[in-house]
Amino acid sequence: MTAQYDGIGGSGLQFFGKVSASISHELKNVLAIINENAGLLEDLTVAARRGSPIDPDRLDRTVRNFTKQIHRADEILKNMNRFAHSVDQFECRVDLHDLVVLVANLAARKAAMGRILLETTAPAQPIQFTGNPFLLENLVWLCLELAIASTSAGRTVTLIPEKTASATLLHITGMDGLGEKLPLQNDAGLEAVCAALGAGMATDPAGNTLTLRLG
Amino acid sequence: MRILLVDDETEFVATLAERLSFRNMEVDYATKAAEAIELASRKSYDLAVLDMKMPGISGIELKGMLEKQCPGMKYIFLTGHGSEEDYRAGSSEASGYLVKPINIDILVARIKKALEAR
Repeated sequence: MTAQYDGIGGSGLQFFGKVSASISHELKNVLAIINENAGLLEDLTVAARRGSPIDPDRLDRTVRNFTKQIHRADEILKNMNRFAHSVDQFECRVDLHDLVVLVANLAARKAAMGRILLETTAPAQPIQFTGNPFLLENLVWLCLELAIASTSAGRTVTLIPEKTASATLLHITGMDGLGEKLPLQNDAGLEAVCAALGAGMATDPAGNTLTLRLG
Repeated sequence: MRILLVDDETEFVATLAERLSFRNMEVDYATKAAEAIELASRKSYDLAVLDMKMPGISGIELKGMLEKQCPGMKYIFLTGHGSEEDYRAGSSEASGYLVKPINIDILVARIKKALEAR
């Protein structure tokens, strides 16, 4: 079974590393905000000891900042935990939309740095994907990297799962820079992950859409 | 001392501005490069504290833009991790860099040292 990962070579490891780096940056930002708010409480305490009145509204705002950042860190860590456990099983049934939302969340910081907004559209009915969840996450991530690199700042890239009579599809719309040539012809990592998953790819340059055929 | 803080994390930059103002500094902050450039076009600052990675722009790129408006302004970079690249940028492009979460006493000392060197 590990042959599935052998096929993608260093690409899977790079993916894991990039997600970990992005998460650590996000957590650093959360800690920085908590640190400044703790410091502010210290400053206000020092001022109060010198006789300055304490403004309850200012304390309340600081407490709300703590609460907000704790929730933010919790969401980041929940996503990290789900992602880390995606290598537990080589094959399982997953909800495609849930998986796409997870990868979009993991890629949100990278997208924000390129001033791209990522959105997902939930299907009317749940769509199940049976296969290797880590490989599918890797494939969606690589496509999002491509989208972020090729799309103009300020645009929205939307991920839309679809189930047809014959196939499970994932459309990535709003992408700039798509040609008739498939992106995997320029990207060995993308090609390897597609091959390992048995996934296909099609482009619609006029519709700014890349479509993954997942089986 | 007039300080300009730029970081895309609003709660971070707003709270840091408040803390520096307790330390007798006149501080403005921006969460976007365009806001920082606008502030610098209306007011002169002695030093800017810039996040190294912001949406659509790096701290070094923003420094290049601000230098045209505020010649002689000093710079300190903030970074999440402090990579080799950050160290080089902090040494060559600015009066140093600090890794988040920052120690305010060290930041204040760096600001004072940078401004003494002018």
